[in-house]
Amino acid sequence: MELNFVTILYVGAIGLLLIGAMGLVMGNNLFRMVLALVLAEAGVNLLLILAGYRGDATAPILGIAPAGVQMVDPVPQVLVLTAIVIGVGVQALAVAVLIRVFRAYGTLDARELKTLFEFDVAAEKGTEPPGSTQAPAGGRPLSPVPPRPQADEASS
Amino acid sequence: MRNLAAILFTGGLGFLLLVIASQLDFGQPPMRVGQEILNVAAGEVGAANIVTSVLLAYRGIDTLGELSILFAAAIAAGLVLGHRRADVPADPDGGFILRAGADLLFPLLLVVGFYIILHGHLTPGGGFQGGVILAAAFFIGVLARPREGLNHAVISVIEGLAGAGFIGVGLWALFADGAFLKPMLDQGTLGDLVSAGTLPLLSLALGIKVGAELAGLMTSLSDTEAPEQ
Amino acid sequence: MNNVILPVILPLLAAFLMLPVARLSAVVARLLGPLVLLIGLVLLLQLWFAPEAEPFMVALGGFAPPLGIVFYVDQLALIFAMAVPLFTLVFWNWSPGSDQDAQGMARQDALMLLLAASATGLALSGDLFNIYVFYELMSVASFGLVALTGTGPAQVATVRYLLLSAFGSVLALVGIAILYTQTGTLNLAQLGQLAPTALQGPAGLAAFAFMLIGFGVKAELFPVNTWVPEVYATAPARIAGLLAGLISKLAVLVVVRLLVVVYQDTGAAQLMLVLGTLTVLFGEFAAWRARDFPRMIGFSSIGQLGIVFIAFSIPGPWGVLAGLAVALHHLLIKSALFSLANRWSGSLEGLAGGAKSAPIAAGLFVLLALSLIGVPPLPGFWTKILVLVGLAQEGAALHISALAAILLVTAIEANYLFRFAIKLYRKSDQPPAPHRTLDIGAAALIGIAVVVVTVQIDPVGDKLRAVARQAADRTTYITTVFPSEPGIAAREDSR
Repeated sequence: MELNFVTILYVGAIGLLLIGAMGLVMGNNLFRMVLALVLAEAGVNLLLILAGYRGDATAPILGIAPAGVQMVDPVPQVLVLTAIVIGVGVQALAVAVLIRVFRAYGTLDARELKTLFEFDVAAEKGTEPPGSTQAPAGGRPLSPVPPRPQADEASS
Repeated sequence: MRNLAAILFTGGLGFLLLVIASQLDFGQPPMRVGQEILNVAAGEVGAANIVTSVLLAYRGIDTLGELSILFAAAIAAGLVLGHRRADVPADPDGGFILRAGADLLFPLLLVVGFYIILHGHLTPGGGFQGGVILAAAFFIGVLARPREGLNHAVISVIEGLAGAGFIGVGLWALFADGAFLKPMLDQGTLGDLVSAGTLPLLSLALGIKVGAELAGLMTSLSDTEAPEQ
Repeated sequence: MNNVILPVILPLLAAFLMLPVARLSAVVARLLGPLVLLIGLVLLLQLWFAPEAEPFMVALGGFAPPLGIVFYVDQLALIFAMAVPLFTLVFWNWSPGSDQDAQGMARQDALMLLLAASATGLALSGDLFNIYVFYELMSVASFGLVALTGTGPAQVATVRYLLLSAFGSVLALVGIAILYTQTGTLNLAQLGQLAPTALQGPAGLAAFAFMLIGFGVKAELFPVNTWVPEVYATAPARIAGLLAGLISKLAVLVVVRLLVVVYQDTGAAQLMLVLGTLTVLFGEFAAWRARDFPRMIGFSSIGQLGIVFIAFSIPGPWGVLAGLAVALHHLLIKSALFSLANRWSGSLEGLAGGAKSAPIAAGLFVLLALSLIGVPPLPGFWTKILVLVGLAQEGAALHISALAAILLVTAIEANYLFRFAIKLYRKSDQPPAPHRTLDIGAAALIGIAVVVVTVQIDPVGDKLRAVARQAADRTTYITTVFPSEPGIAAREDSR
């Protein structure tokens, strides 16, 4: 690959996608995961637009483009317009649900939430919560289990 | 351990993507459908902005779907967030600069928003872009004076009617001409404000719906109560 | 013929108008949804019973493909398009609701209508990006519905499902971008035409892999199905039933169209086979260890969807027939089981003795479980046999190991389903609450349908065979969408 303008753009788009993917997979804090999603979507949108890029071509608007100059592909631009709006809708909904999660549990940390989630579902269904992976084996006496952390349970 | 797995996954994905990217021709897209549309769009649809003609004519049903996605997100957010309890105090009003600035900006933003919506088939812009500016116009007022929120009833009626208007234009084309969302009305001269058939009407419905939706969504978000400390 | 767009458009229109109408009259708003769904169902039934059974295409907006978007309507598309309003009505929220909450009920109904509209569009569409848009609409509507109960765990499950689904959509979009860069078009038929020349390399296969993982989120495929137990444990049972039964099948349909029309001669089928096998093993082992009823049947549905993927990866019309049979059978059985799960939503221990208080439900459960495991002469037996014979006919190592996995998994299924059935018929002091008539009614209807299919297995099998042969025929697809293209008939296709 020669190092020209388009190559740099492609590497940038893929890089954004990878940063977003890494943030989503690492999953520390739910809000960070939403931000990582925003980055990943930006990367993919850039990748889509590059699919229609022609060197030295101009915007596909008759009357503004000088005659005789090639125009870029209009279809990826429409696809990206749609994808951006879809992304905005999903991100807004994600933030709304995150607000409710924070109101119910008082934390956005992904690992804590998983434990609290399992506790609550087990309590609701009447089963026992899944055992801790840190439990010692071999019948050693266990230290007393600390009470379940007091979380803010206000839900409307 | 978990971070290691994340790094491995991302590394693998990155390697795959770079290998694929090296196989693609940069700057020389196949332009199969794209070139065809560039050649015929002016004649078939009559809009100077070819991207808008693809958005509202060739791929009109995608735009309808996208509109519905925004609608679904706004409704789901409204369902999830619920209403504000009446006895919870609202945030205080903004300072003088914010209030005066909001009052000043409101008519200007409305004009710019409608300009962009109505000229969507001539210059870059269109329903979505103009609609977001309209939403911003209303939302700045809410930021400056949180006590006077936007009226949810009015917003939902505007949303509903604008969306129904978009579908209505499409259904009119279906029953009159046999194809859903086929451009109707006279095409006019290329480059005029009144040209490209029903495209400006669709843009208008789109812009109003998006504006109302986003304003409603942001108001729902701002209406949620702060968590009890 | 052009009215085939109406089952997609009318629910959208009704959803848009739902909130304003609810402000005027709550009763009209509650009735609007079912009415619109019924109209769509009637229109589709007219097409199904039309005398000529040739597939046809509708060019939306009057723009001929590949410039415009097409809807491709063959028997396979019609089956799934008819299933959408039918099962949405089965899982509708028929409870009257309170007067103060007319807006909340209107919002729920609007989301269900959006789900139905997008699912119908997904079944009928013939353009790749149109499929993506309808898939996203389905996802967003399902996000809203899954969070309905409003409890803390439900919100956590919703947000994790949302993040996973959005990541999947990003990957699917990467796949679409790669496809567009290689071919310059988004029309499925034209992609099928260009596939032998443009999509043979690693780029084409990578695009399929990305789209498989992306659309596989809803289809509960192996790496991306971690959302399933969390959502099924916290969402209302009817929403879980809709997701598990109907929506997952539509996601599978998208992948099948890609496989049949675009990726017919490549290693794409092998990738699906591997992921399907992993899905089956993961799902059924987890179901064996599950401790509450909704999660048990949720994991079991992951397993069955794995079998569906394995079935569709068998090349040729046999694969499509096997996959279609398993998919339809699972659609019926799981919908009934989730209807029963509405009341039986607690732990398995707590449901002991349920046969006393709900004899019909217990009997239905035994019937459905027998069909799920594959006991002859119930339909489940025939569907599993189709898959196993198809795998045995292929004979490659991958296929034989998939066959072994399915047999192993059938034994596990029998174990945990009978374990629960025995628990139901045990004596207990605290039998669980009886079911609502609505749930029992829906499950009983499906049970009767299962018995009818058992008796009429031959005509049903023949009809499915015809549908599968039509759907697996790539040449028909391409010539229907591009009727005036010479040289297509000369192209060789599936065996």
